[in-house]
Amino acid sequence: MNNIFDRIKYGTETIKDPLKSNEFSYGKIIAKENVCDNCEKCTNICLVDAIKINTVGNCEHQVNIDNKKCIYCRNCIDICPKSVLNMSSDYKMAELELAGDKLREKIYNTFKRSLVLRVIDTGSCNACMSELSALQNTFYDISRFGINVAASPRHADGLVVTGPVTKNMKEALEKTYHAMAQPKIVIAVGSCAYNGGLFKEGDGVYDVVKNILPVDLVIPGCPPSPQAIIFGLLKLMDKI
Amino acid sequence: MKITDTINSLEELNFDLKYEVKNNNELYVTVKADQIRKIVLICVELYKFNYICEFSIEDKERSINCVFSNSKQGYYVICRYVTENHPIDLSNIIYQSRLFQREINKDFDYKVKEVSGTGAYQVAVGPVHAGIIEPGHFRFSVMGEPIENLEIRLRYKHRGIEKQCEDINANSLNLMFERVSGESTVAYGEAYAILVEKIQDLEVSKEIKAFRTVLLELERIYNYMDDLGGIANDIGYSYVAKKFGYFSEIIHQLCERVSGSRFMRNAIVPLGINIDFNEKKKNDIIETLQSLKSRVSSIYKMSLNAVSFLDRVEDTGMVSRVIAKKLCMTGVVARACNLKYDVRVAFPYELYKEIKKGINIESKGGVFERYKLKGLELNDAFNFIEKALTYINTDIKREKKEICLKEGFEAIVSVETVKGELVVYALTGKENKFSRIYFKTPSFTNWPGVSEAVLGEIIPDFPLINKSFNMSYSENDR
Repeated sequence: MNNIFDRIKYGTETIKDPLKSNEFSYGKIIAKENVCDNCEKCTNICLVDAIKINTVGNCEHQVNIDNKKCIYCRNCIDICPKSVLNMSSDYKMAELELAGDKLREKIYNTFKRSLVLRVIDTGSCNACMSELSALQNTFYDISRFGINVAASPRHADGLVVTGPVTKNMKEALEKTYHAMAQPKIVIAVGSCAYNGGLFKEGDGVYDVVKNILPVDLVIPGCPPSPQAIIFGLLKLMDKI
Repeated sequence: MKITDTINSLEELNFDLKYEVKNNNELYVTVKADQIRKIVLICVELYKFNYICEFSIEDKERSINCVFSNSKQGYYVICRYVTENHPIDLSNIIYQSRLFQREINKDFDYKVKEVSGTGAYQVAVGPVHAGIIEPGHFRFSVMGEPIENLEIRLRYKHRGIEKQCEDINANSLNLMFERVSGESTVAYGEAYAILVEKIQDLEVSKEIKAFRTVLLELERIYNYMDDLGGIANDIGYSYVAKKFGYFSEIIHQLCERVSGSRFMRNAIVPLGINIDFNEKKKNDIIETLQSLKSRVSSIYKMSLNAVSFLDRVEDTGMVSRVIAKKLCMTGVVARACNLKYDVRVAFPYELYKEIKKGINIESKGGVFERYKLKGLELNDAFNFIEKALTYINTDIKREKKEICLKEGFEAIVSVETVKGELVVYALTGKENKFSRIYFKTPSFTNWPGVSEAVLGEIIPDFPLINKSFNMSYSENDR
C-alpha cells in the first residue's frame, strides 16, 4: 500500500533520454595545436603512457592522447605550463574495433533488436562493476533498449570484460568465452580492460583482454560512466 | 593505559626489548624471535590489545611485524622480530593469525574442511557468478538442507598492487591507492593523504579537513544506499531496491558535479585538495541532500513495515560477539555483533574528533541488525555532512603541493572505510618512492565472517547474507 502512495506522490523517477549531454562528466582530452614546447612534463607524470608528443617539421609539437589508455586523472592538465591540454565533457568515446571485415558488420545486425550480455570481472577495482550495475537502476534502465544481463554464458550474445586479465582469472575467462554460442562479441569496459591501465605491470596480471580474445567494442574511461556504456552498447547495436 | 605506561609495564617484565616511539602514537618494540610468543601472549591476554595484522618487510633483513592497537587510548604497538627462516606460528594464541600466516609463510599448509556422511554433498559456485559481481569461489558442504561448512576461495583478482606501489612516485601514488577498491575510492585516497601528512608531520587547514569529511561521508552515503537496495533486491522487494538504486544514482551525480568524477577520484591529495569548492557547490550539496533525506527515511521505514521483508531478514545469518572478536571483524559488520569499535572514534582523523560522538551498535549480529545499522550510518552521514559544511565559510582553492619524502621513515594509519577498518603501513625509500606499502584491508578479516554467518542456514539465504556483508573482493585480493 505504501508503495502505491509513494509512487503516486513522486511519479516516475527516470529520464527519457539517458544520452543527454552532461557538462560535468569527464571526457576526451583535447590538445591545442602549435602551443606545446615539448617540455615532456605531461609524458613523465602520466602513469599509463597515454601521451605522445610528435614533432612535425619546423619545431612544431603535437600532443596525442590515446583515449583508450587514459585513466582521466587530469594530472597532465594541471601540470602543463602552457595549458595545452583541456578536458571536454564529451563522454561519447566508445569505439568499435572493426578488424576490417564485413562479416562483423553482419554480426552486429543480428544483435540490432536485443542484446543479452554476460558480465565477467577479471581483476578490475570494482568501480566498473558498480557502474555496470548502475545501468539497471531506474534512472538509466537499459532494458528499454533491449539490453539485458544473463545469468549464464550459454544464454549470452556478448561478454563484457572489466579489468586486466589476472593469472588466476585467465582460465575462467576463456572457459566463459568458449561456453557462449556463436556469433559472439566481446566488449571491454574501462581502460584497464583494453590496455591494462595502472595494473599493467602487476605481478599477478597475465595479459590484457585484447591479446586473449578478439575485442569488438572498447568503452574507455576509469570507470566509464553509465552514459558512456549505454552509448557504446547502442553504437554496437547500430541504433545511433 | 597510555603509551608510556605500556613501555614501563613491559620493562618490568625483564625481557631484552628495544623501544621506539614514532609519530606520537606508534610504539615499535623489537623482540628476539624466541620471545615473540610470550610478548604476543602478554599483549593479547594481559593488556587486551586488539590484534590487527602481521606482515613482513624485506629491506636489508627479513623482519616480521605483528601490529596491535589500543583502541581506548588510540595508539599502535608493533612487535618486530627478525627471522631468516620461517615466521613463528602464532595461530594457537591468536586465531586469526593463520590468515596472515598464509601471506608470509611459504610452507603454510591450507586444508579444506571436508564433510562426509549420509546426505552430505558439496555445491561449488564460481568464480564466474550469475549477475554483476566480482569473482570468487564458494564451496558449500551441505547435509540435507542446512549448510555445514563454507569454504571461500578468493584471490582470483590478485594483481600485486603492494609491489606495484613501490615503483610509483609519491606524487602520483594516490591514483594507485584509489584503485585498490573502487567502492572505497575516497577512503583509500584519504588513507594516503593522512599517511603522507603523518610522515611529514604536517597538517592541512580546517576548511580542507571539513571538505574531506564531506567527501568521505558522501561516499558512505552511496555505498550504504547500494547495500540497503541490494538487501531489498535479494529478498525480492523491488520497489525499495529500485528506489535506493535511484537515490544512489542521485548522489553519484552530485559527486560528479562537485568533483568531476562519479567516484570522486583524484580529489583528496596529500597536503591539500585537488578540487575547487565554492558557495555554489555548497548549496548544491545542501539542497540535494535535504531533498533526499526525508525520502530515504520514508523508503527505509517502508521496508521495516513489510512483514515479508522482516520474515527474511530477522534471525538470518547470525554471528555471535565471541566469533566476531575471534575473527577480528571490523566495521558495520562487527558493530552489528555488539563490538564497540569505530576507527572514527578510536583514531580520529580530519573532523571526526569534533563531530562524531558515540558509536552505533546492535546486539544480535544478524542480517536485520546489519540492515538497521547501515540505515543508522546513512542517517549519520547526512548529519555529518551538514555539520562539516558549517566549518566551510570561505571558498577552497585547489592546492596540490609537491611531496618530498626522506628515506627510512615509517608510519601506520587507519581509516574507517564503508567496509570497516583499513590499516596502511608505509616505509619510505629512495627517490621519493616507498620501499614497502602494506594494506590490511577490512574485507580481508571480514570475509571469514561470511562463512560463519551461513552455518545452519539454507543455500537460498546465502545471497542475502553475502549482500548484507557486501565485502569487496578487489581489496581482499589486492
